[in-house]
Amino acid sequence: MTLFILKRLAQIIPVTLGVTLVVFLIMQMIPGDPAIILAGEGASQETVAELRENLGLNKPLAVQYTDYIKNLLQGDMGHSLKNNQPVFEEITARLPITIELAFYSILITIVLGLVAGIISAIRPYSFMDVGLMIVALLGISLPSFWLGILLMYLFSVQLHWLPVAGWDSAKHIILPAVTLGAGGAAIVARMTRSSMLEVVNQDYIRTAKAKGLKGYIIILKHALRNALIPVITVVGLQFGSLLGGTVLVESVFAVNGLGRMIVDAIRTRDIPIVQGGVLVASLIFVFINLFVDILYRIFNKRMDLN
Amino acid sequence: MKQETVLEVKNLQTYFYSSEGVAKAVDGVSFTLQKGETLGIVGESGCGKSMTSLSLLRLVPSPPGKIINGEILLNNTDILKLSDEELRKIRGNKISMIFQEPMTSLNPVLSVGEQIAESIRLHQGLSRKDAWEKAVDMIRLVGIPAPEKRAKQEPYQLSGGMRQRIMIAMALACTPDVLIADEPTTALDVTIQAQIIDIIQNLQKQLGMSIIFITHDLGVVAEICDKIAVMYAGQVVEEGTTDSLFEKPLHPYTNGLIQSLPKLYEDQEELSTIHGTVPSPYNYPIGCRYAERCPFATELCRKKQPELLTIEPGKKVRCWMYSKEWQGATLMEEMTV
Amino acid sequence: MTTGLQTQPLLQVNDLKQHFFLKKEKLFGPQQVVKAVDGVSFEIMPGETLSIVGESGCGKSTTGRSILRLDEPTSGEVLLFGKNLVTMSKKELRVARKDIQIIFQDPYASLNPRRTIRKMLTEAMSIQKIVPPEQQEARMIELMSLVGLRPEYLERYPHEFSGGQRQRIGIARALAVNPKIIICDESVSALDVSIQAQILNLLKQLQRDLDLTFLFISHDLSVVRHISDRIMVMYLGKVVEIADKHSLFTQPHHPYTKALFSSIPVIDKEHRKERIILKGDLPSPLNPPTGCTFHTRCPFATDKCKAEVPALREITATHKVACHFAENLV
Repeated sequence: MTLFILKRLAQIIPVTLGVTLVVFLIMQMIPGDPAIILAGEGASQETVAELRENLGLNKPLAVQYTDYIKNLLQGDMGHSLKNNQPVFEEITARLPITIELAFYSILITIVLGLVAGIISAIRPYSFMDVGLMIVALLGISLPSFWLGILLMYLFSVQLHWLPVAGWDSAKHIILPAVTLGAGGAAIVARMTRSSMLEVVNQDYIRTAKAKGLKGYIIILKHALRNALIPVITVVGLQFGSLLGGTVLVESVFAVNGLGRMIVDAIRTRDIPIVQGGVLVASLIFVFINLFVDILYRIFNKRMDLN
Repeated sequence: MKQETVLEVKNLQTYFYSSEGVAKAVDGVSFTLQKGETLGIVGESGCGKSMTSLSLLRLVPSPPGKIINGEILLNNTDILKLSDEELRKIRGNKISMIFQEPMTSLNPVLSVGEQIAESIRLHQGLSRKDAWEKAVDMIRLVGIPAPEKRAKQEPYQLSGGMRQRIMIAMALACTPDVLIADEPTTALDVTIQAQIIDIIQNLQKQLGMSIIFITHDLGVVAEICDKIAVMYAGQVVEEGTTDSLFEKPLHPYTNGLIQSLPKLYEDQEELSTIHGTVPSPYNYPIGCRYAERCPFATELCRKKQPELLTIEPGKKVRCWMYSKEWQGATLMEEMTV
Repeated sequence: MTTGLQTQPLLQVNDLKQHFFLKKEKLFGPQQVVKAVDGVSFEIMPGETLSIVGESGCGKSTTGRSILRLDEPTSGEVLLFGKNLVTMSKKELRVARKDIQIIFQDPYASLNPRRTIRKMLTEAMSIQKIVPPEQQEARMIELMSLVGLRPEYLERYPHEFSGGQRQRIGIARALAVNPKIIICDESVSALDVSIQAQILNLLKQLQRDLDLTFLFISHDLSVVRHISDRIMVMYLGKVVEIADKHSLFTQPHHPYTKALFSSIPVIDKEHRKERIILKGDLPSPLNPPTGCTFHTRCPFATDKCKAEVPALREITATHKVACHFAENLV
């Protein structure tokens, strides 16, 4: 296990290099010169050239990239091109908001997904099951920004139950979290259902019945614990798409999180912010995946030997 | 000694419904089980022996399976008429079951002690602590060393033989009247099989339960059963005491089975075989289901199904040869001598 | 050699070892090795049937696979007609395999479900280029009749057959290249007794008609008793006893063999023995006991057994045992 964890931690190095390189190259490829954007519409050629010189933008690409990595290794993520704030500070200001949003979203994903999946699996092909699975299919198919706008229209604009946007009170959290968690909940529900249906046909469930156990004990104690094993992996993967989803959802609901920061930075070609934001997001993703894999291995050890 | 009937099965029929049609997996099975007795149900794959055993506890997967007819009287109560709640109170308490695959029959994520203890808590109302202690006692009883330590382990940490012992401990934890053992040693090696049979026999002596032992292995039933029912194509074709069945099998199928076993203490150039294959449960012939493969079959056998005839008390056979209607020239005894 | 070709073994296995190295779990932990087959030697004469018996994990199937190099053996020699299969190139091995074939336990798993029997047999013959194309048709019909199947079944797919019939197809495929020796790996274990009897009869008849040699691997002692000339008993990757079958069945020397025999449930009361119940389970092959690997379960084990590995030694001309006290235990 230790060996496994060390191996996985070692993977962080190539992941970091890969992510920064890809982001760096993409930012170079998209049209728009940061210096021009920073200098403003009517700035003179000289101002732009001076700005470019100051920001180190006219050095060769390879030098720019290696400089960035060198600084990164010393813990320096650079400064925002826009307001010269350290990137690290920008990120630490925004990250808690995104983490909070992600936390509630994944909570919704897990709770809604599991409950729907279990209800479906108890009576497969019943009205309840078919109904839930249609909803789940919609949940998977609807893009989150579209779902977000629909929810906003219904609950904020029409019913006035919840605020339209912002991030001030508990009420503000509900819509973005539901929007972000819905797709995952749908996937988890479908996975839980199929996993439960597979498990209830196992020999040990027959043993549990032969012991005279009550139905709910068989479902919750004997079946669910085993059915959760593949669901853990799915939840782990959902975390990945969740981080991606925050970009859209934070923009729709005007939440000042990491996702929105990255989007804004892309618009203003603020390369160091984009680099830093994406890097932090991918590191979080790597660590969550590692955590899920460790959980999975602990659970699966019992299964492997069967 | 006065015999006391614990379990009586009358005309049990369990059918499976699928797009291919109706499979008559169990088709009119009857037998009785006395207190302290061991009944063996033998037959080849697809004969319906396992479905019979699952039917006894109403564990037949449904759909597609359904018990459509019959009575299963446990101490004169018909299991088929019980409510789900009443049935639950009998399962694992009055009748319990051990299965063929010790590897998959235990829950992989619960400690084996808990799997035994939960049944004790449920049926005997013991506290968590007392139930756990009793579970440890049961594990000791089935001969597993260091039972306190083993009880805390999960199934993957145990060998196949130990898991089957755990299954036995679980099944016997509430001292049931009847233990159904469905091929409990088939997946195990012979030396481990010997251990398991030894434990089952010892515990039967100690606890006095009756056993239904389902297997395809004639050697195993010969060693442990008091009486034997031979199944073929969903029906019992012969029933008798173990000695009578092996010394003087009446049904041509029973005889064919015994003869096709390679002998351990005799050289044979060629084994005798039963030609042909088992008929499909979706489409049994109208006459005797064995007629197609039987060397003695006559017109009568192919046209009309024989009843399970009682030859003498405790000895039954489903074969026209032993009926008044039999017109065939030879009796099987003369043919096989 | 003055005795001539007849006494040359057809297959000779010398000190065959198959060690599996497990993936390391701990960074600084020791490399874990499963010695599935650990120094097995035996020979098979032409026309003979040698059986390997033992319980799961004893290495009997691995021995069969290593001989064919389905798993590359760790060391040792496998001489087929005097040529060492272990050191051959892949190309030479492919040619050599026409003489040595294998039939598995589960015929269904080893038959391609998308191929008709005809395609399967044609392929087997073409790989070895043993039958010219114009004669293949006749050869296939001959093969089908050899294994007791109707020639029209050639056009069918494996799923259309019963278990016994599939095993016949497996045999036909093995026979297609005219092998000299067939390894039967638990070939009748999954079959019902009445079908098992049919297949055993078929194998015996083929052996007579085609001068075949068998290496028969099985856990079922009565089947082994029926089909074999000689029997080899394995325990934890080692040979514990090897003898001709009558000698082995009437006078087993090794305590494990005795326990094994006494455990077989039998129908005839007069042959029923006092069951020797072995203590405990098979030890972990990752950490086999020292000395004689059977000492942890042996009712007669002494300090010597814990310390010294017993050699496989001759008791009579046809009987070898690996037990320090073989003579005292009869």
